[in-house]
Amino acid sequence: MQKTLVALALAALPFAAAAAPENFTLDSYHTYPNFTVEHWGLSVMTGRFDKTTGKFTIDRAARTGTVEMTIETASVTTGDNDKGSRPRARDEHLRQADFFNVAEFPRMTFKSTRVNFGGDLPSSVEGNLTLLGVSRPLTLTFERFKCGQNPFNKKDRCGGNAVGKVKRSDFGMKTAIPAVGDELALNISFEADKD
Amino acid sequence: MPNDLLQNPAVQAGLAPLFVALVIGFVLRNTRAAWVAIIVGYATFVALTTGFQLEPLTASRKVLLIILAAPVAGLLIDALDGRRALAVLAAVGAAAASVWAYQSVLQQKDANAAMLAGGGVALFVVVLVALMLRLRGDGLRTGAAGVGLGLAAGVSAMLSASIGGFMAGITLAAASGAMLLVQIARREPIAPGALGALSIAVPAAFVSASTFNLASLPWYAMPAMLLVPAAVLWPSASEGGVLRRSFVLGVYALVAATLPIAAAWLATRSG
Repeated sequence: MQKTLVALALAALPFAAAAAPENFTLDSYHTYPNFTVEHWGLSVMTGRFDKTTGKFTIDRAARTGTVEMTIETASVTTGDNDKGSRPRARDEHLRQADFFNVAEFPRMTFKSTRVNFGGDLPSSVEGNLTLLGVSRPLTLTFERFKCGQNPFNKKDRCGGNAVGKVKRSDFGMKTAIPAVGDELALNISFEADKD
Repeated sequence: MPNDLLQNPAVQAGLAPLFVALVIGFVLRNTRAAWVAIIVGYATFVALTTGFQLEPLTASRKVLLIILAAPVAGLLIDALDGRRALAVLAAVGAAAASVWAYQSVLQQKDANAAMLAGGGVALFVVVLVALMLRLRGDGLRTGAAGVGLGLAAGVSAMLSASIGGFMAGITLAAASGAMLLVQIARREPIAPGALGALSIAVPAAFVSASTFNLASLPWYAMPAMLLVPAAVLWPSASEGGVLRRSFVLGVYALVAATLPIAAAWLATRSG
């Protein structure tokens, strides 16, 4: 009888391992929150943040998870860093108090409250985005979430794209509305290695 | 259509504060309280742009609270016969308020940089407030200084990547200009007292300090701002009628205002 129990326990071990939460750390070199915003109701301008750190956990068996992400707001870029003959470049202006106010709020954060699953992988994540000292709910939907193996270090690796929308005025960023649109469409490209 | 008009920055920071300050100034023209027009003009600009939300209490929102408290402090000083000790207390209080306002920004810097930035701004605030309080017996000098300081703070903010600072400065210039017009129409100056002096000094000082702390204003533009109230203290501007004096003082203030603007412009040429 004892032998049978030990054999059953040993046989169940791989399943127990599969059910354990998996921890991932974002690869900052392949993780970029991108955003688009209307300009004068004409074009849609694109920007991104170059420095992002964070981690996430997924438990495929329990269909739960957590996400934490920190974005350095001073790393914002829209491709206009050279002021040329103008007093200031657009990216410099975006860092000032009119927009991201990096001197007072150098970071924005996203912390999940719930991860939703579609099948074996997360389909969306609900949480709070904190920007300029204000926290507002944000749902990010995964347009893509794939897992495989890092060919170099052979670690498990996941990545994808998450999209969502925020109104900047909800965070007190009201400068130049409506000339510069209120709604920002987010598209976060991310990759992460399993710890 | 009215909504479109109220979303126009020229209306929000120029025409609306000018109109409101003119109306308030004319209604109260026979009292020293006419100078409350400056802050009502400023409050109009705030109502049309960011609104009066105070949560979370960021540096910019602390600055708004300090600006709104300035006329209250001025009224108190005037009610107590404008005693010199109270004027000194007001200047020192404004400087202390600057440390409170920018605390969250200073905390991001290392200790030496925070001491330099916080101390420098406090010194600038105390000197500008003290200089403006020296003008409190003369409505024309105070009004002209308000126009010059508003333009200096506003245009230098625009050159330093701050639309908010630009609009706030233009608002101050417009409201101060309205008070000059009220005095010209009345053909007699209205003594501003500490109410008028603080209603101009505090917004001017904090708009520039915010542009320094939260945008790209070079530090040397702040001492250059002090030349504006210093210029209208020039003794030769005490002769003549209201119109002539307003014109002469306005020219002094505008000439002095070009210096902080030039300082901000120079900073755009480097780096």
